[in-house]
Amino acid sequence: MTLELLKTLLFFLTGAFLVFLAITITRDNFANRLNRVTGAMLLFAGLGPIFVALGEMIDPATTRAAFEETTIFALHYIWEFFFPLLLLFSWIFPVDRLRDFRRPRLRYIIFVPYIMHLFIALFFDNIIEYLGDLRIDTGQEGFSSLVMQPFAKVMSWLHLLVSFVRSYDVNIFGAVSIVYVLAASYFLESGKKYVANPRLLTQTRVVLWAMRAGLGLLLIAHLGSTVLPYDLPETAKSVLMVLAVAAGAGILIFATIRYQFLDVRLIFRQSFIYSITSAILVGIYILLVIKSKQLLEPVFGEQAQLVSYAFIILVLLFFQPINNWIDEFIRSLFIRTRTDHRNVLERFSRQVISLFDPARLRSIIEETLKTTLLVEKVYFVLYDDKVKEYALLVSEDNLRRVVIVRDDLMLRGINLLDTPTYFYSLADYRDGSNLAKLLDERAVKLILPMKDADHLLGFVALTDKAAGYTYSSEDLNLLGVLSNQMVTALINARLYVESLERIRLQEEVTMARQIQLDLLPSKPPELPCARISAHSTPSRTVGGDFFDFVEVDDSRVGIVIADASGKGMPAALMIAQTQAMLRSEVCNGNPIDVVLRNINQHIVESSSAEKYVTLFYGEFDIKSGRFRYANAGHNYPILARANGELELLTAGGPVIGALPRMLYESDAVQLETDDVLFFFTDGLSEAMDKDEVEYTEERVRKYVVEHRASDPQALIDSILKDVREFDPTYPPRDDTTIIALKINNGFTPYEG
Amino acid sequence: MRLSDREQDGIIVLEPKGKIMGGPDASLLHDKLYEFIEQDKKKVVIDLSQVDWMNSTGLGILISGYTTLRNTNGELKLASVTDKIQSLLTITKLVTVFEAYDTVDEAVESFK
Repeated sequence: MTLELLKTLLFFLTGAFLVFLAITITRDNFANRLNRVTGAMLLFAGLGPIFVALGEMIDPATTRAAFEETTIFALHYIWEFFFPLLLLFSWIFPVDRLRDFRRPRLRYIIFVPYIMHLFIALFFDNIIEYLGDLRIDTGQEGFSSLVMQPFAKVMSWLHLLVSFVRSYDVNIFGAVSIVYVLAASYFLESGKKYVANPRLLTQTRVVLWAMRAGLGLLLIAHLGSTVLPYDLPETAKSVLMVLAVAAGAGILIFATIRYQFLDVRLIFRQSFIYSITSAILVGIYILLVIKSKQLLEPVFGEQAQLVSYAFIILVLLFFQPINNWIDEFIRSLFIRTRTDHRNVLERFSRQVISLFDPARLRSIIEETLKTTLLVEKVYFVLYDDKVKEYALLVSEDNLRRVVIVRDDLMLRGINLLDTPTYFYSLADYRDGSNLAKLLDERAVKLILPMKDADHLLGFVALTDKAAGYTYSSEDLNLLGVLSNQMVTALINARLYVESLERIRLQEEVTMARQIQLDLLPSKPPELPCARISAHSTPSRTVGGDFFDFVEVDDSRVGIVIADASGKGMPAALMIAQTQAMLRSEVCNGNPIDVVLRNINQHIVESSSAEKYVTLFYGEFDIKSGRFRYANAGHNYPILARANGELELLTAGGPVIGALPRMLYESDAVQLETDDVLFFFTDGLSEAMDKDEVEYTEERVRKYVVEHRASDPQALIDSILKDVREFDPTYPPRDDTTIIALKINNGFTPYEG
Repeated sequence: MRLSDREQDGIIVLEPKGKIMGGPDASLLHDKLYEFIEQDKKKVVIDLSQVDWMNSTGLGILISGYTTLRNTNGELKLASVTDKIQSLLTITKLVTVFEAYDTVDEAVESFK
């Protein structure tokens, strides 16, 4: 008895639950065919168990046989409409393929067998009676019987057929149902290949499992009698069928809640969970209260009433906390999934906060939108700071950019937006807009503007959602918040790239300076007949100065001073190259003019035309005192004779690295006692005072001649002091390099 | 540097104004030259009368312009070279490379 009651209750609850689910899904988005079909399917599925439960409620022992003859009982076949609806469902999920049907109206044919079944079940007795009445006529004599005879024959056949169908209807329509479920699972399986979206694929898989579970139970119900050694009773069959439906429906519910099947909104999914947990909890409590009363009475006697009140209060006290706890548990299990909006936001913020690569950022945004909102395609139109223009990035191929002209009408329209907006509502901005054309071609439905203050950083264009779901207001809210986060992330990424660029430049400057410093000799050579001092002031930005001393042979020392055009790394590399070339040319024993010719040719071939080096190279013979040199476009070094005469070392040729096949001439001067040779770069002569007046080479020459009596180091120090007085902002914008050489007093050339 | 251009007797005359220095100036002149080279206008005079100053990078720009034109069988000549730039050309010994004329007219005339 209790078992029977439990079974009835279970049926009733399952049915009621399915109907509840059906209403929820249909109400959530009535405009969507998928929701309508699924709702109807679940409604009929729910009617089945409800009818069974109703049947059970009527005392089976006494009235069962009579009940099975009633119209109400016959009506329960209405639940079988579940099967054609399931088939219909398999045509529109996960992708609506009904549109491809040549005659879509023919789809209603699938309902015909079930309409027939219901018709037969409802009117079977009447038909039998009616047919029976007609049969009586044939027994009479006369004309009328002659006319009626063929009809009577037909009627008797019909009678036979209907009686046959009626007696085996459960088996016949059970078989039809199995065929329907098989067909539906075939269509669902084949529909999977249209799905690329991972979340939709999971949904499809879960729905397929639901159908397989249902199918398995149906098969057991109907083939049980042939496969199993004993025949299943009618009740067992109907129980199995209802179980099949319940299992299928259960998995569907799971899909709806866990994987947001049918895109059912969070609020509905939550109401499911809450209703069920609350209902179960209330049921358990009521049971507890009733039981406790039974237990308390023998112990407390008269006071039992009082104690049971206390118990009720206790139970009520615990109801809310326990309900909350169960809610939280179930929410963590089902609602707060990867696709939950709040979770999406949290996850998205976490990801983008540490993300500085714009391309990676775009792919995260795209993935987020595709998995959580089932957006089919995502396109980005972004403003590029470097080229100052908007461009459409084709998402599957980020390298392809379609530039949008600045005054595009649609772009101006989008510039006015603040929130996610439907593309169709921007119809006023379509005229002649190339952007509108591009978005049309891509079937864009929704525009997500991304604005920083008033500047439009770009926008995200979304197509329809997969499976034809539409955007809910919940979605639009989420998209609004997401686009704000995207703005922050995009700005972060841009700032990061800029700071990287700055660091890179800074590193380059440091490296260039290091190269330059490494190339400079640590100290000038010590000669028996002359003193040499050198000085180099690096500028704030690294320039291209360098100097070098080369031991040519036992009696000759080479002096190099040079200035590469430009600054930074290119200049540093250029001087490194020039210095290496020069040293190797000198070691090969080439004469000075050949050395410069070869270096020039080499540098011309290996660097761009606007880069060049001014270079002076001279070789001082410590025995003879002769100084042979060639000047490749460098500031003229000064020879201040002991007697105050001034000579400039001008002979040579054009700057190194500008033009190919240049020729250089060399010249020589004879150095005498107390003569001063002064080499410098334009950083010295081009130092400027606050009125932008240059120090000038004339002033350098005059100063050197006037101070020719000084020791080389003292000469360098004092001229630098003079320049600093002239130009207080020194060190200058260009580096300054000075070499001073003074012949010792009493030097007598060795005449060999 | 600001750069304007005109055509005189089929010869392109470029008129830079201000200071010729590195950075954007280089690409400005370079792009302009390429624009004319593409139109097959390869005889160019640079009028330097309004250039008050030129640093080493600026000189590099001139050299590059000269090389670019010569590599496409064109020619670059200078006109109205100021003393400052003249001395720069002298020191670097590029006077031997660049043909320089006192006036634009003379420079244009020299192409005939």
